[in-house]
Amino acid sequence: MDRTRDRDEAGRQQLGSSSGTSSCGKSNLWKEEGGMDELLAVVGYKVRSSDMAEVAQKLERLDEAMENVQDSLTEHSNDAFYYNPSDISNWLETMLYNFDSHPPEESNKDSASSDYDLKAIPGKAIYDGGVSTTSNPKRLKSVESTSTVVVVDWQENGIRLVHSLMECAEAVENNNLPVAEALVKQIGFLALSQVGAMRKVATYFAEALARRIYHVFPLQHSLSDTLQTHFYESCPYLKFAHFTTNQAILEAFQGKSRVHVIDFGINQGMQWPALMQALALRTGGPPAFRLTGIGPPAADNSDHLQEVGSKLAQFAETIHVQFEYHGFVANCLTDLDVSMLDLREDESVALNSVFEFHKLLARPGAVEKVLSVVRQIRPEILTVVEQEANHNGLSFLDRFTESLHYYCTLFDSLEVSPVNPQDKAMSEVYLGKQICNVVSCEGMDRVERHETLNQWRNRFSSAGFSLIHLGSNAFKQASMLLALFAGGDGYKVEENNGCLMLGWHTRALIATSAWQLAAKSVVTL
Amino acid sequence: MVQEQHRGEQEKRSRFFINDNIDILREILKRLDGPSLGVAACVCRLWCSLTRNDDSLWEHLCFRHVSTASVRAVVVALGGYKRLYMVCVRPVLSRLGESERVRRRAWTRHEVQLSLSLFCIDSYERLGNGRIASDASTSSLMFLCNTINV
Repeated sequence: MDRTRDRDEAGRQQLGSSSGTSSCGKSNLWKEEGGMDELLAVVGYKVRSSDMAEVAQKLERLDEAMENVQDSLTEHSNDAFYYNPSDISNWLETMLYNFDSHPPEESNKDSASSDYDLKAIPGKAIYDGGVSTTSNPKRLKSVESTSTVVVVDWQENGIRLVHSLMECAEAVENNNLPVAEALVKQIGFLALSQVGAMRKVATYFAEALARRIYHVFPLQHSLSDTLQTHFYESCPYLKFAHFTTNQAILEAFQGKSRVHVIDFGINQGMQWPALMQALALRTGGPPAFRLTGIGPPAADNSDHLQEVGSKLAQFAETIHVQFEYHGFVANCLTDLDVSMLDLREDESVALNSVFEFHKLLARPGAVEKVLSVVRQIRPEILTVVEQEANHNGLSFLDRFTESLHYYCTLFDSLEVSPVNPQDKAMSEVYLGKQICNVVSCEGMDRVERHETLNQWRNRFSSAGFSLIHLGSNAFKQASMLLALFAGGDGYKVEENNGCLMLGWHTRALIATSAWQLAAKSVVTL
Repeated sequence: MVQEQHRGEQEKRSRFFINDNIDILREILKRLDGPSLGVAACVCRLWCSLTRNDDSLWEHLCFRHVSTASVRAVVVALGGYKRLYMVCVRPVLSRLGESERVRRRAWTRHEVQLSLSLFCIDSYERLGNGRIASDASTSSLMFLCNTINV
């Protein structure tokens, strides 16, 4: 059987079976090649119809052999190699060969693991670490003298699931709709066999892919406040965002007697009580505090912004902080204009954006316009919290891969933390909506255009802003906050060149940064 | 006659009853740690009403070395020291530090700030929901509650 491997020139590592033929890659699965079984081919396994009985027998033998060897597998895990299981017949052959403990004179050298590198999608939900894979085919030849044990990944369905997701995404990118359709159905089945985070993520991604394939787009992408409140309660991401930005704003307002905060996305106003309290307790007493809250029009036409405002006003009264509030309804931040904001001479202004800036990337020129308005406002500080991921790449497949990894990690963290089930379920719906938007929408509808911290850094720097380093106070508060969460071991705060990042295990998920207008250039006479 | 009177007075003086001297009682209760204060509340009706109603007993428990007048004003406005202790301080301390040392250690500024911030959010949430009982946690602080292993 032909097993030429096509390493994608762009260096993309993909989960993929080796294509039996040529450079067109994976879309050739559909064609019958040498009597391959079609159904298995769709899922990624190449078996000749005539070989089916033999393959079944080999599987049984392998099963027996593995039961006996199970205990010694962990000892040898450092020397393990992955063989490509999509070519089932030969794979079984080599597996049985190794289990029979013959001297490995003639192991199938062609079965390099390089194309089947699970590290393409790191993250515990999918790839259970601990097995090293070799990416250099040459190494296999020198291994003759050492005994190798092949470790089979017990989560075979999980691999197949991810494999199918990637195949489907690629089919969608190549506009190969029949294949995509078949794969989406497979994914649905495979997802049911999983448990926990992987199952939920796969289901959401499958739904999003299906929407894209069948052109059934969600009516409107609105992350309702209720959903966000549940997300706030179930995991530390939003709290981290609020605590770190509040600390930065507090430090920026040191010594000022009249302050004005403009919040680009006020939601329920959960961020501001803590800031008001910190201002109330600072030496010298609280400043006069003014808040401008911006938000989208409410679905039920209620004056939601005003309700939030009166609640905040009530709070401010209890702690004796002079408080003033204005709410602005805006469909998009570009509708904002300096004249609407009633800026006053003796006030220091802080601008705050939590997960709002990335939505502007859907419209060309929007970010630049908003940043120019920000420059006109001349704030003391602009605090920005964004997701740390690139979900705005040009290629659909890249976006898909990135977001799969990102949301797997997020769902993982939700899974491990002990939260009340309703909060957890709502948070998952909240994230599911984001997934749907990233995967199935395009153009102006695709508002979840997350970009990494470095990308934002470039944008802000070239727009005339310079970074304010978040101090150690913010870091300590954030660390302490995370220590309170019962799943706390997994969350990590990191400092990244003056910005703070919150991540789950090794993966950074959100980033907070603070900006000010870059020093004006000296005017020479 | 004089001797009897004298003996009577002595008897009276030796029968010192703490419940007759509430100010001394308060001073003593102030210095107790959380669990002991809870136990004290079960002793008798007087002690129970003191622990329940006198918020200053809980103040020392919360910010033993850091309390100032301004902090007090804020805490009282947001719901009182007893609630602060129940919903914030006790869970925060138990999560952040070993329990034996917890009773004697001094608070750091950051811990104070963190607890106050969480307390604020809790208080803000209760503004909208009048029906939450005074000792129950709001949902924003649920993450501090101990989970029950099913």
